[in-house]
Amino acid sequence: MIELKNVVKIFGRRTAVDDVTLTVPPGAIYGLLGHNGAGKSTAIGMMLGQVWPTHGEVRVGGHEVTSHRQQALQRVGAIFETPVFYDYLSGWRNLEILSHYTGPTSPARIREVIEWVGLTGREQSKVRTYSHGMRTRLALAQALLPNPNLLILDEPGDGLDPEGIHELRQTILRLNRELGLTILLSSHLLNEVEQLCTGIAVLNQGRKVFEGPLTNIRTDRHWLRLRVGDFAVATRELRARGLITDDRDGRLVELASQVGADQVVRCLVEQGMAVFEIAPEEPTLETFYLTLMRDSRV
Amino acid sequence: MLFLQLRNELWKLFGKPRTYIGFGALLLAQVIIVLVFRYSHASHDMVRQLQTNGYDSGQYITSLTVATVMLFPIAYVLLPLYVSLIGGDLVAKEAEDGTLRMILSRPISRFRLLFVKWLAGVVFSILLVLMLGGIGVGFASCYFPWGGLFVYIPGEMFSVLGTADGIWHYIGAHVFLAVKSVTILSLAFMFSCFNMKPAAATILALSVTFVSFVLMQIPFFKELQPWFFTYYLNIWQNLLLQPVPWWKVGQSLCVLAGFNLTFLIIGFTAFHVRDIKS
Repeated sequence: MIELKNVVKIFGRRTAVDDVTLTVPPGAIYGLLGHNGAGKSTAIGMMLGQVWPTHGEVRVGGHEVTSHRQQALQRVGAIFETPVFYDYLSGWRNLEILSHYTGPTSPARIREVIEWVGLTGREQSKVRTYSHGMRTRLALAQALLPNPNLLILDEPGDGLDPEGIHELRQTILRLNRELGLTILLSSHLLNEVEQLCTGIAVLNQGRKVFEGPLTNIRTDRHWLRLRVGDFAVATRELRARGLITDDRDGRLVELASQVGADQVVRCLVEQGMAVFEIAPEEPTLETFYLTLMRDSRV
Repeated sequence: MLFLQLRNELWKLFGKPRTYIGFGALLLAQVIIVLVFRYSHASHDMVRQLQTNGYDSGQYITSLTVATVMLFPIAYVLLPLYVSLIGGDLVAKEAEDGTLRMILSRPISRFRLLFVKWLAGVVFSILLVLMLGGIGVGFASCYFPWGGLFVYIPGEMFSVLGTADGIWHYIGAHVFLAVKSVTILSLAFMFSCFNMKPAAATILALSVTFVSFVLMQIPFFKELQPWFFTYYLNIWQNLLLQPVPWWKVGQSLCVLAGFNLTFLIIGFTAFHVRDIKS
């Protein structure tokens, strides 16, 4: 659905996106992760034809965005971090105005989308009277009006309360499940990405440092949580005997291949060390992300 | 589709309270000028000029004359100000507010978007001039009788026209004042297409207009006047002359068309190559 091939974007002396290649498959909920200034919004800007790539190719729905922007965006909806509208106009009027940039939209379609996002009854109120949550719903409504098959969400959860975030998560899942939309989600909320996405790409200082299905992060490395009297002494001993290959955070060890947790415990007990806990550590996206950032800095 | 998009731009433009600042200010200026003209000795010089030249001043100190007198300060100062305010806002304000990013996630071409916005600005400019002419003569009629048109600018203009002729010249002057209004709007619109704040676009447009006007007035620039942008903007004054110098009007129209086209090409190009970021 989205393809970036060797895309580079340079602003003055700063390289915002550096040789990024990534593919968002149809039907996926795809997470785009990275720190502030990593190049996520620039990459999204290039997908929407708002930012011109310095080099490389950006394709959406099979169309090259730079040369065939109108065809590429015909069935694309987008939401940005802070939903901004013409506050002095009603929600309905805002939807009419924005949808007409795509093509003629019937009042019935607008009514249908308003109902879908749960704004019925407030559509004639001025947007300035809307809460942040209602603005997010209105933003979703405008994105859904052109009947899209791709939805691009740039930090959509920013500023939402926990209830709002939960509601947004359920909506994204519904959109993907019920309407079959491909969704590209750029977010800082790693927990949300973990619960929603099937695949992710991680950007660091404009470069892609990881791309793959979310399941890959879980099978990548096996860590055990080890609680002993003296972690440093224990890991030194275990390394010397070739039972572990790595340790981190003062509590996690990575077993060498073909080594079981029972061998680790036996070794430590034989050395007279008290073992309080040993359990597999389920890798979270957060730990994976932080490790990735640390490794790419190294 | 173009009509729908233009209608939407007009909704946006006329939904904003600041759009009406210009209408309000012009109305206030007209009220003040009419009242001053009515209750002070402002018309004495005109009466003297008419009588010296053998005209009956009672027939020419009329609502049409007063409305035309009002036109000069407004056309030179207030009109450029309020048209620049709107022109400078058209693109830059949307970029500043963030709505431009939302619009440009839609499959509308940048060229078409700008064209529709410019058209909406043209509609505003024309409405502002229509209001200026309509309200001006309407309000002046409350205090002055209906009759001929007398325009007097020492050393430049001395026109005495009958009622019917006067009305046509008055309407013609407004048609060409609308051309001035649209040209200044295009200038502000051009600056608005660059990556800058709306206030900066407005100030730049006003600066170009006023600096050009001031330079033009300096005696040793007299011969260079045709090279100044503002020289052609005052085309509307020619419509108050008897006879109307049509060749000069036509020449000015062509030059202004060229200026408008140049402003639009520069603005469109700047906007097209620009990256739209949050």
